[in-house]
Amino acid sequence: TKNLEEEGSESADRPFLILSFQYDYVISKFNIYNDDGECIKDDISEVSTLDKNSKRTFASILSRCALIRSVIELWGSGTTTDSCANSVKTLSMNEHGIKLLSRHMVDTTSWKITVHTLGSKYNREEQNEMRAKFSFLNFPGKIQMKDPLHEYIIIREIELDFKGSPIYPRRGIHKDIIPEHDKLPPLAVYFGRILGGRRDWRGGRLEKYNLKSRTYLGPTSMDSELSLIMTNLGKVRKGSFCFDPFVGTGSILLTCGLRGGYCFGTDIDLRVLRGRSQNENVFCNFEQYKLERPELVRSDNALYDRHYRCHKPIYDAIICDPPYGIRAGARKSGSKLDQPRAVPEEHRHDHIAQTKTYAVSDVMADLLDVAARTLVMGGRLVYIIPSMTDFDVNTDLPRHECLNLLHICYQPLQTELGRRTVTMEKVKEYNPELKDKYIESVWINGTDAAEKCERIRERLLEVAKLKPDYEEKAAMRKKRRQETKEAKKKAKYANQAKSDST
Amino acid sequence: MRLLTHNYMQSTVKGTERGYPLKIEATKIEFEASPFDAEFIQALLPKIDYTTLLFALKQISENGNADLAQTIIPELPESIKEDGEGEVDEALLKKLHTVMFDIHVVEGELVCPDTGRRFNIKMGIPNMILHADEL
Repeated sequence: TKNLEEEGSESADRPFLILSFQYDYVISKFNIYNDDGECIKDDISEVSTLDKNSKRTFASILSRCALIRSVIELWGSGTTTDSCANSVKTLSMNEHGIKLLSRHMVDTTSWKITVHTLGSKYNREEQNEMRAKFSFLNFPGKIQMKDPLHEYIIIREIELDFKGSPIYPRRGIHKDIIPEHDKLPPLAVYFGRILGGRRDWRGGRLEKYNLKSRTYLGPTSMDSELSLIMTNLGKVRKGSFCFDPFVGTGSILLTCGLRGGYCFGTDIDLRVLRGRSQNENVFCNFEQYKLERPELVRSDNALYDRHYRCHKPIYDAIICDPPYGIRAGARKSGSKLDQPRAVPEEHRHDHIAQTKTYAVSDVMADLLDVAARTLVMGGRLVYIIPSMTDFDVNTDLPRHECLNLLHICYQPLQTELGRRTVTMEKVKEYNPELKDKYIESVWINGTDAAEKCERIRERLLEVAKLKPDYEEKAAMRKKRRQETKEAKKKAKYANQAKSDST
Repeated sequence: MRLLTHNYMQSTVKGTERGYPLKIEATKIEFEASPFDAEFIQALLPKIDYTTLLFALKQISENGNADLAQTIIPELPESIKEDGEGEVDEALLKKLHTVMFDIHVVEGELVCPDTGRRFNIKMGIPNMILHADEL
């Protein structure tokens, strides 16, 4: 078996990465259009014309790549601030550098230098000390801290652990400086000009897509950043036919819509599909972002091929966060009773059918099988699976003959808990006659792996209960929940009384 | 529910294999124009059942809002003609787009052609869950 994850390898230890490319290389990969819609790729030698258009190019790169913080034109770097400043000075004196900097030397526009110190806080005085080392650049324009036209940046990079915290933090728990750590040299210092950053994303701040501003949310809504990453892994683009079989509040499907995909979502839970009211439901979320209405159907993914004809594969991407019973229970059709009671004819169409518990092993087996059957060749399945520290990627992931495992991306959440975003690609045609065989082979290690998942909630609780202040904290949480509940009730009656009296 | 979705939906109540296509009894239909993408429609054509689409269109035109039907819903030919390269005329693609994407059945019922079992549609969401004794 191939080892697909290399935990402890270098890239896994550097959550903050600086990738640098030659300017020409990047520009050669993209077409650059001017305001009249004409491709000006051939005129890139004219650096001044490149400026405005490259900004748009980078803005479009940034709008696609959720994890890229900014695109910077690198002017110099070194292992200390001084050596970085020297390398910038060297640049300013060579032919290419002179051309590059000359634009800025005659500019009378506003500018500022941002100081980005990774994993540690430096006060304004300390930051200005760093800025002073670059004063030889002598930008003629005026300094403007808020939204200047040109933004330069000094990045001071230090060593971070895999969770993004400094290995040798500058300050202790009580914010006091730890001299031994403070004396340590940085990994590197960079200086450059920002060509595009999060502010350029889709013409507004990335925060616009944050869950905080969303109309309809639930406990299982996926955070917008992870949804964006999932759509990238799923290669969702304009015209992609996207499917989420556990659509819930539609947070992942919404991101597919933002990427230009056609959105179809199903769920077995009618209440979550219909939302809380006319003004608080999945459709409202899509409307909020000016997207087309998604298609929603209440159906059971365990019975996908009974609800839908599957003779031809149709989906380009299936992107979802299956229910593992941690934050929301998984359900499927059927009654837990051995002799289910018949529903009287006249109520059949309206009666909310009984559902029963859906084991994680079946959730995943059905998901993979539906994906194998309904994805087009080359289509992608992207899903999330939670895991505790005993997870083994070589044996604990579900498999399917028709699907190839492409990527596994690990995200730590708590000490014991993390989640993996798994990407699979359809590589083989599905044969409906082999359905039983496919399903049987999903868990190569038996269903132990699936049970590990299923028991996560229990296991987290076990770990939590061992902590000394567990009882105290649990009691506090309960009290707070009751208080919030009562406050909401009071507010509701107050509003009602208000509207009744007007 | 759009007619594209209806194209894939079936009833397998008590294991029937004649539960396709579902009849549509719409009580509320809405029309919402959406951006047309010729490439997308062209790519979709081999994946849909055209006969079912015509059937669905007929159902919508017959019941539901008659004025809506007259003014907005286009007429579709009996079959789709492709040119030498398998491309379909853009005017027809636009009509197909309108039929598949812009007609929304907001309230109504889908009826199994074999067993007569009715599946309701509320807020545009069809409820297809089978009861335990229908599985």
